[in-house]
Amino acid sequence: MCTTVMTGYGFWNVFSWLTFFVLITALILWFRSQGRSDYKEDSLQDEIFYGGNPVPSDGAEITVPASSAYWGFKKALHGFYTLLDSWHSGIATDYVAWFVFTVAIFALLLVF
Amino acid sequence: MSWTNHLPALVVAVPLFGAFGAPLVSLGGRVARNVWFLFFAAFSAFLSLLLWQHVVLSGTMVYVMGGSAWNIPLPSGMSLPVRILLEVDSFGALLALIGGICAFAGALFSLKFMEKFTGLDKYTALYLLLLSGMQGMVLTGDLFNLFVFIEIASVASFGLVVFWRDRPEAVEAGFKYMVVSTVGVMFILLAVAFLYGRYNVVNMAALGANLQYGLPEKVALIFLVVALAMKCGSVPMHMWTPDAYAEAPAAVTCLLVAVSQASLYALFRICFSVYGLSMGSSAVAWAIIVLGCLSMFVGVSMAVIQKEIKRLMAYHSVSQVGYILLGLGVGLLALGNPQEMNAYGMTAIKGGIYHLFNYAMYKPLLFLCAGALFYAAKSRNLNSLGGLARKMPYTTVLFLLAAAAIAGLPPFNGYVSKLLIYESSFAVHPILPVIAMVTSMLTLASFVKVFQTAFLGPEKEALSQVREVPQSMILGMGLLALVILGLSLFPSWSLDHLITPAAEALVDKASYVGAVLGGGF
Repeated sequence: MCTTVMTGYGFWNVFSWLTFFVLITALILWFRSQGRSDYKEDSLQDEIFYGGNPVPSDGAEITVPASSAYWGFKKALHGFYTLLDSWHSGIATDYVAWFVFTVAIFALLLVF
Repeated sequence: MSWTNHLPALVVAVPLFGAFGAPLVSLGGRVARNVWFLFFAAFSAFLSLLLWQHVVLSGTMVYVMGGSAWNIPLPSGMSLPVRILLEVDSFGALLALIGGICAFAGALFSLKFMEKFTGLDKYTALYLLLLSGMQGMVLTGDLFNLFVFIEIASVASFGLVVFWRDRPEAVEAGFKYMVVSTVGVMFILLAVAFLYGRYNVVNMAALGANLQYGLPEKVALIFLVVALAMKCGSVPMHMWTPDAYAEAPAAVTCLLVAVSQASLYALFRICFSVYGLSMGSSAVAWAIIVLGCLSMFVGVSMAVIQKEIKRLMAYHSVSQVGYILLGLGVGLLALGNPQEMNAYGMTAIKGGIYHLFNYAMYKPLLFLCAGALFYAAKSRNLNSLGGLARKMPYTTVLFLLAAAAIAGLPPFNGYVSKLLIYESSFAVHPILPVIAMVTSMLTLASFVKVFQTAFLGPEKEALSQVREVPQSMILGMGLLALVILGLSLFPSWSLDHLITPAAEALVDKASYVGAVLGGGF
């Protein structure tokens, strides 16, 4: 069949997965339809709760910027990222040095 | 002789002719230049499709430039392959097809994206020259011409990276790229000199037939592997990629991704078809696997913390190249052992080549989406973007498709190739798929960040005038999306008709050598 991939240890069939996906989606939508019957669209229930304050009109004031995303991840791996930053110095001669360093490592592995 | 026999030369020559004609045609105005550009990009893609079809149906093609035979028999009876040869098997033809698709998608995108800039005659010429150099890299049958075509592609790409020369960042990126690339390419030339000094030939098939693995051959292999790994953006020589990919116009980055795949092609062509079993030990295979793992992890780690969208995607390029190095490195490791080759080696090579194809489709699409965001919102800084899904619905859908594919989410094509790499690399060591899967998770996290910050959230006042990009740009992105959907929905067909012939051609050194030398050398 043109949709089944045999990997050697198992298989992958895209249409089996899509069928499963559609069934699960239908199930989720059915669960969702069983939700609260007192919900009214375009009422106060739709208002954003902003700590009791008026919601700023400019979305820029209430979004988390990309530079703050995964803050905890970066904080936890601070040492790792300090090291990576020091490697990525942005200096052209450093780039060439990394190239020469890799040639040297390969030479150690293959020649000696 | 049928004209189809000239396809290998045409695939290189047509964009080259387009490149040299572009400045002249540009004198006729914007429309003439655009028609010329699009025609040559489309015609090149069509020719590469014909070439791929011809090779798959009829077998490896050998094309002798300027002659009917590869050799010039001497009175002494000595017969050396001295002419310029193009040798195209299924692997090379697949790479040419990839290059053709990326170049056409990029050209379609360029029409509107570059419209307001001056110097487009030079842009068109350099773009087609880059395409020609890249096609030459994957079709050539000899090492010296590989060097020449790499140089052609490199020089064209230096010019394109600094196309926005009023931006100091672009000039700096171009300079760094030029320095590192030139040093690397000089090492390739040195390697060619080592091999030529030993064997009096630069033809890859002839070298493959005669290679004895001594010290000069080892030195040549080191220079070739490291230089080509640098050209494809492998860690720790990847630092030029975020600079160059981020500063080049989006359509150029689209083509630069394909060029990096041509470097990967050359790397594995040399390892499998020139050196092959003569390497003896598994040191090179392990070195490539380690480079792959480092590229995956360091690339994705740097990508997660970026806030500039093209820089983030450039680091993902490094990470994706790591998967391909891992897959093909595992295949190289199993090369000498038929049992291991059957058990996992062939699966790894197929996974690597499938990932190469996938990557060459979804990564350009992601770069084009980043270009579309820049075109519409005038910013590449994710902190400045937000809420664009309502204003740019087509770009949003196309971005989602490419992001899901690169993150390896089922049912997309990235999932299938990663699955093949996970399973085969597990047979070598369990830590390898663990690194690959962690990389995949971080890739997903990274693109969730991009999607959330650029497309979701409330509308920002500064972006209230943003509109969807013009149709030609959507068409360029749509072409790549169509290929991604095809690869996702018909993975088995893709494997059987696109990937397996390429993998078998790569592994079968005897066939590669025999296609040129036939009865012997």
